[in-house]
Amino acid sequence: MSNYRYIILIVLWISTASLALASAKDLAEFSLIFKPGGYFEPTYLEVPVGRFKLELINESYEPIEFESIPLRKEKVLAPGTKSFVVIKTSRPGEFSFFDDFHRSARGIISVKDLNQ
Amino acid sequence: MEQVFFIVWRESIEALLIVGILHSWLCASSKYYPGLPYLWGGVVSGLILSVCFAVILLNISSLLGHIEQEWFQATMSFSACIFIVRTVLWMKKYGCNLKNRVEKSANKSLDRSSWWGVFILAMIAVAREGSETVFFLFSMLTASRSSNQTIMVVWYSAFALMLSIITFWLLQAGKRFISWKIFFCTTELVLLSLASALLVSGLDCFISLNLITPIVDPIWDASWLLDDSSSLGRIAANFFGYRSYPALISVLAWIAYWIVILLLRRYFR
Repeated sequence: MSNYRYIILIVLWISTASLALASAKDLAEFSLIFKPGGYFEPTYLEVPVGRFKLELINESYEPIEFESIPLRKEKVLAPGTKSFVVIKTSRPGEFSFFDDFHRSARGIISVKDLNQ
Repeated sequence: MEQVFFIVWRESIEALLIVGILHSWLCASSKYYPGLPYLWGGVVSGLILSVCFAVILLNISSLLGHIEQEWFQATMSFSACIFIVRTVLWMKKYGCNLKNRVEKSANKSLDRSSWWGVFILAMIAVAREGSETVFFLFSMLTASRSSNQTIMVVWYSAFALMLSIITFWLLQAGKRFISWKIFFCTTELVLLSLASALLVSGLDCFISLNLITPIVDPIWDASWLLDDSSSLGRIAANFFGYRSYPALISVLAWIAYWIVILLLRRYFR
């Protein structure tokens, strides 16, 4: 009987550990594409609270700079290059971002609490 | 294409203010003249560093992780902040705030090693924003698809450079129209305020790196009053350390900074 308990405990422990590991590795991923002419797609991004990875793809012929002051991130990208930023949020809300080299467009990252 | 002009000028304004103010202070008396080569030496080294950083950003930006870049930005911001405060207080100590007292205290020996503070400050100030400007211009030039476009980039940058030189000159001329005391106090405040903004941006990097806790993030939402992503809000962010969603730690550090500065100013008066 006690053997069963141990086995169940071990199985439970392994499954929670692997779940925790998987959730740590599976960072929610989103991408933002910068188009020629100073625009980017999408301009509205819905993300979960916590950490997420934002892939930045510069498809334009000019350098761009992703910047969000409320999210404390900035990243410069040469024409035709790719990069990413990992953003951490602690609360739901709407945070603006823009391309600092082309101030024509502004975007919103909407942080939603999906557990609620 | 016209953003070339705007970006070059905007990115250079911070360095321009720091270098311009230091230059006007050093020119106040012949006793500070030995500091001028250090100032210009710092500017030249800053420009060389900018090119090096820009090349790194252009070529191995993927190798350089975002954590390293964040560390780099934090280091640059904090050291610029420290060197501004150090230089301002040092200049006050040697009587730069009172021009008439300058000649009287001329026999007071000036510590040569302190000129290196001026050198390092000028270097960091130029390299900090310069690397981004050089990166921007480099990639504009390499990406331009016609010689016409290349010429436009060169022209716009030349215009921006001219505007920067005019700004620099105006700053130097400014002290002729107002009393030295007012000029010194104003420029001192501009530098100290810039340093407070650098402190806040350094803290932002540290919060991102999980090195410090923001305590409460954010402590308030002031975006209805002034949004830091708007043009005016950007200026407030760059010159006063304004944030529309500040973390409590940033607010506390900002207040602590000004208290320390007030105490130090009293001490050095």
